[in-house]
Amino acid sequence: MKDILKKMLLTAFITAAVLTSISANGTNESTESIQKQYAISFVDDEGNQINLDESCKRVIALYSAHVENIYFLGAGNQMIGGYTSAIYPPEALEKANYTYRGDAESIIAADPDCVLIRPFITSKAPQFIEQIKMAGIPVVSLYPDTFEDFPIYIEKLASLLGKEDQAEVLLKQFYENLDEIHDVTSKIEDKQTVFFESTDANVRTVSPSSMPAKAIEIAGGINIASDAQPMVEGSSIASYGVENVILNADNIDVYISQVGAMNAGGNIITVSQRPGFDTIKAIKSGRFYNLSEKLISSPTFRYYKGVREIARYLYPDVMDDVESYMNSDLCDKATFADIIMKMNHLPLYSPTSSKYYTKTILGHKYGFFEDVKWNDEDFDAIESAVYSGLSPFTTVGEKEYYYPEELVTRDMLASTLYLMSDFEKMDRIHNINDLGNCSVPRIVQKIVDHNILTLDEDGNFNPKQIVTEQEVIDAMKLVLKTK
Amino acid sequence: MKKTIKLVALLSLLIFGATSCSTTNIDEAKGNTMEEVRPVILVVSFGTSYNSTRDKTIGAIERKIDEAYGDEYDVRRAFTSQFIINKLASRDNLIIDNVEEALQRCIDDGVTTLVVQPTHVMAGSEDDDMVQTVKQYADKFEHLSIGTPLLTTPQNYRDAVKILTDVTHSYDDGDTSIVYMGHGTQHPGNITYANLQTYVDEAGFGDRYFIGTVEATPTLEDMINKAEESGNDRVVLRPFMIVAGDHANNDMAGDEAGSWKTEFKKAGFDVECIIEGLGEIPAIQDMFVSKTSEAIAAL
Repeated sequence: MKDILKKMLLTAFITAAVLTSISANGTNESTESIQKQYAISFVDDEGNQINLDESCKRVIALYSAHVENIYFLGAGNQMIGGYTSAIYPPEALEKANYTYRGDAESIIAADPDCVLIRPFITSKAPQFIEQIKMAGIPVVSLYPDTFEDFPIYIEKLASLLGKEDQAEVLLKQFYENLDEIHDVTSKIEDKQTVFFESTDANVRTVSPSSMPAKAIEIAGGINIASDAQPMVEGSSIASYGVENVILNADNIDVYISQVGAMNAGGNIITVSQRPGFDTIKAIKSGRFYNLSEKLISSPTFRYYKGVREIARYLYPDVMDDVESYMNSDLCDKATFADIIMKMNHLPLYSPTSSKYYTKTILGHKYGFFEDVKWNDEDFDAIESAVYSGLSPFTTVGEKEYYYPEELVTRDMLASTLYLMSDFEKMDRIHNINDLGNCSVPRIVQKIVDHNILTLDEDGNFNPKQIVTEQEVIDAMKLVLKTK
Repeated sequence: MKKTIKLVALLSLLIFGATSCSTTNIDEAKGNTMEEVRPVILVVSFGTSYNSTRDKTIGAIERKIDEAYGDEYDVRRAFTSQFIINKLASRDNLIIDNVEEALQRCIDDGVTTLVVQPTHVMAGSEDDDMVQTVKQYADKFEHLSIGTPLLTTPQNYRDAVKILTDVTHSYDDGDTSIVYMGHGTQHPGNITYANLQTYVDEAGFGDRYFIGTVEATPTLEDMINKAEESGNDRVVLRPFMIVAGDHANNDMAGDEAGSWKTEFKKAGFDVECIIEGLGEIPAIQDMFVSKTSEAIAAL
């Protein structure tokens, strides 16, 4: 598996070489164009020869994965419009929205120098695409049919944008991330079995060649529906059915249900209420998870995060190990978020529709912290911890701050610990001298009475005292024992 | 033994599948024939995609009405939420009429006497839309009567207060605030929640029973402030909605930021959630039977 990267890059190299060769031989080109050297030249995924003199600066991308990858490549400023359902990264929502279901004139009027689509759009709206082409605007259709095609797709996209160097770095990192996950999960002997629900209608799963199926493989899981047949040839959706799930009820360790706009499985309530589904091992043991299709079924650089999520569902103790934090370092809020996420096995928070950006949850809007950006290393842990309600943040006017470098106090820790579990109601035991200095005295009283955090020799809680990373972990372990 | 469980599960699945394809006339099993052209009580609900909850709430209300009037009337179901109707059709092959379809079905069946009883809590936009739709068909029936939502008359409010306090009596221990979470609406009918709080206050429960809404006023913040003022250390949360669906499970009892449970806990309260819709309470079901009775009397 170390070789995911090598294999992919080799395939990409050979394909690129072949494409270059085809282009150079000018199979569909006039003699004049053969002689002309283009800065950008490749065959897109509908077989169209793409020749451009310079990289694109005014792109409209009509597929959410294109939008996401453009931003990852650092070319967000070369995009003037995105697809209506593109919801990541958060700043992409600031761009104008376009859809192939709308009027081509609005796109033509925006004067893009390239319209990025995928073959699905051409089959759905051929006249729409023809109109754009007739206006003299280059239309480029890209879509990787398989996981193996991902690097080829990214390289074509990068060449359109003049971001080849960035693509090389990102692809290397992408496959290293996947290798890192596989290195860990491949060493686990007791493999977990998983059922992946892609739609709740007829309880469909995914085909063996799909990206989610590949993700289960990399995450070290055994796909109980590995023999499921695609609904139609080439489809990632496969038939499976209620009967097959129930017949395998005793063997399904983990149940993953995809959520999103395109394909959505059920949630824990709707799945468990299906007749017979309460007999499924994963349902009985509470190992049911919803996973965003954007993370697992979409050809983006975030795919490895979806793979890592599946690995976390399958092997939580291994994947969420906090051993590296068992030290006397003072705990800052960024680390605090990561510890919260791992200790509580919180699912990675990722919006599945644009409504998450319009919905403010008590002062916070996903991706809108002034001091935490979507491409920061700690972004996912911070958003996940905040959305779980376990980590505090600050609102100043209309702006939101997380303050990732701020150090965690005992006061702050007490609130998080209290939210992690439902504590039994009990009479007051301890007399806390400085209770009046605590931000929420009731919480501190309960945390102390339940012996999660202790008082000093003088009977003080010391709410402003900074805690170490190990102290955070030790206290959380005590709370988790009460659950 | 495990095989037996699976067989039972598969059998129930087959039975479920077969029944889910039936029409929305819950009187079919009685063997009534179309020739009789019995009068109809159409029970109109918002709907829910949570099957077990639906049976315990909307289904229970319909059964109570059927028990009371089934000898004389066909009792039929309609939902107002097309989203839920579509979801149930595609997911469970369960076909449920919207209001217009149900009315048209009555017309096609030759029904001349129709009683429409909503299971709405209040006269909000859902109820307005339903009434408007039914009135468009008024000339198609010889006798037509539309029942009222749960909270309409002063006596309805008094009855509701008694029921809300009775069913939570065991929690009312002197150190507990009991907070009901209603839906809330931008419709002027949102005043219903404030009215209910007034009746709660009048009945002497105002220092510990609070009525809030998830989407309008009184807000969650209002509820936290009231709980703070009460001086009680514990909060019991319960939905003030016919069905305990998404709002009850997520907005009220969810573990995420912004849920009522989380926000009350952040304020330091002990929090307990009761995830039961109003429709599960027999006395509330009886109120809808009474309302149906009133609607029949108005024919």
